[in-house]
Amino acid sequence: MRRVSSVVVAVAVILGLAVTGWAAESTLEKINRSGVFTVGARTGSPPFAYINKQNEWVGFSVDLARLVHKNIEKKLNKPIKFELKESAPATRIPLLSSMAVDLIAGTMTDTRPRRDSVDFSITFFVTGAQFMVKEGSPIRGIQDLAGKRVGAQQGSTNERIIRERVPQAQLVVFPDQPAGFTALVQGRVDTYTNDGIQLAGLKVKASNPAEWKIVGDFYSYEPYGMAMRKNDSDFRAVVNNALMEAIEGGEYFKVYDKWFGPKGELPYPMTDDVKSFMMYQVVPK
Amino acid sequence: MPLIGFLGIQYDFQWSVLWTGGHGSWLVQGIWTTLRLSALAWIIAWLLGILSGALRTVPFRPLRALATFYVEFFRNVPLLVWLFFWYFGAPQFLPRAAQDWLNVHGPEFWSAAVGLSVYHGARMSEVIRAGIQSIPRTLLEASVATGLSVGQAYRLIIIPIALRLIIPPATNESLNLLKNSSLALTIGVAELTFMTRQIETYTAKAFEALTAGTLIYLALCLGIASLMVQVERYFRIPGLIVRVGRAEH
Repeated sequence: MRRVSSVVVAVAVILGLAVTGWAAESTLEKINRSGVFTVGARTGSPPFAYINKQNEWVGFSVDLARLVHKNIEKKLNKPIKFELKESAPATRIPLLSSMAVDLIAGTMTDTRPRRDSVDFSITFFVTGAQFMVKEGSPIRGIQDLAGKRVGAQQGSTNERIIRERVPQAQLVVFPDQPAGFTALVQGRVDTYTNDGIQLAGLKVKASNPAEWKIVGDFYSYEPYGMAMRKNDSDFRAVVNNALMEAIEGGEYFKVYDKWFGPKGELPYPMTDDVKSFMMYQVVPK
Repeated sequence: MPLIGFLGIQYDFQWSVLWTGGHGSWLVQGIWTTLRLSALAWIIAWLLGILSGALRTVPFRPLRALATFYVEFFRNVPLLVWLFFWYFGAPQFLPRAAQDWLNVHGPEFWSAAVGLSVYHGARMSEVIRAGIQSIPRTLLEASVATGLSVGQAYRLIIIPIALRLIIPPATNESLNLLKNSSLALTIGVAELTFMTRQIETYTAKAFEALTAGTLIYLALCLGIASLMVQVERYFRIPGLIVRVGRAEH
């Protein structure tokens, strides 16, 4: 019994320290003190954030985070180091809370429950969940899932929707995207679901893209936002202003074109609706 | 250690996320899956370990070589890699019909069970070999001299004694197996760690979920450890294993 109680005490002490804590430091103060701006990004979500063939960590979200970085340097009036850190859906919120990263710039959907834990920037990308199937599969959308084995990614909004809307589907949840897609390729699951744009990214990278089809209407609305620690409005304003200035000044659309334009990594032209939506998010100077 | 870096901010603990909104039943399902997976893998690992551990010591070289190959091949590749192999790779070598059958009968669970058993069987084998080799060679010779065959001597004399000797390191291996079962989440098995992460992703309450997971693993492991102590005491051979309680005086 002695062993049990000493462990419980140790855990309690650590938690106690965590609760009492030190006086909170704002994100801008932290960046100013350390001289480093740390961004949590994915490594396997082309074209948002991934390691390319030259072994560089690049992507649409990474480029936008660099715009934010420039704005932070302008605000603090000194050079700041830009650092990337791997963050998966299951780790990104703890990474933020633990101050390990200052901003999550990946493929994180802005949702109301998530706003209880983190704050979001304005929306920087819009997509919705669909299904990837092998050519010739009978699955055409969310209505065909009963009894089928559906692969999904842990921590994603679409996994939650399938669980609630199609309880007859056999949901198999993987911690990351490559595992889910490999399961589909190897025939362990009948379909893999994720945001349409992510599926498009996987299809492009597949060894035989023609073999795979993206099917179904969007069964969810997934506005991507950058996440940061809650109740830090100064930092949030710096992030939002960077995005708004980029949309207003056209730099955002240039970056979009670089990744999603006809010659981009993954052609995904922006619809007029989305373009207006982006413009309307920009509040006047 | 996320808690250290976490010192800088205030955090509002909400322990109720562990039992509200159906999360309690997730945890129970997770514990159940972890126990089922570990128990199945544990039994197979023991059987493989006893077989291979015994073969590692028999006076017949090809059998020794076979067992050595098994041990070295399986224990020297990370378990995570084995899990991927058994889930993504191995089923492809099965006939189409067997694959289809497997796909509707939870391939995640079975692949994880096979991966864990074979890997821990190789590790258990070494524990059992150590137990067998700690028994003086003369005991085998004496057994054979009484008219037993080598197989009978192993089955009736050597292995029963060896199994009693190795309970402490085997307890270690058993606890490792239970904790390693958490790797099964990488191939989509909804075990305990998966469920704590699931609660975390639904509620964004990482510290509550991870603490719950930690304490549950701790309780399971302490339970198994104390059970093994009882087993050790129950099967003790008077006069043979007398170290309990003596060494400290």
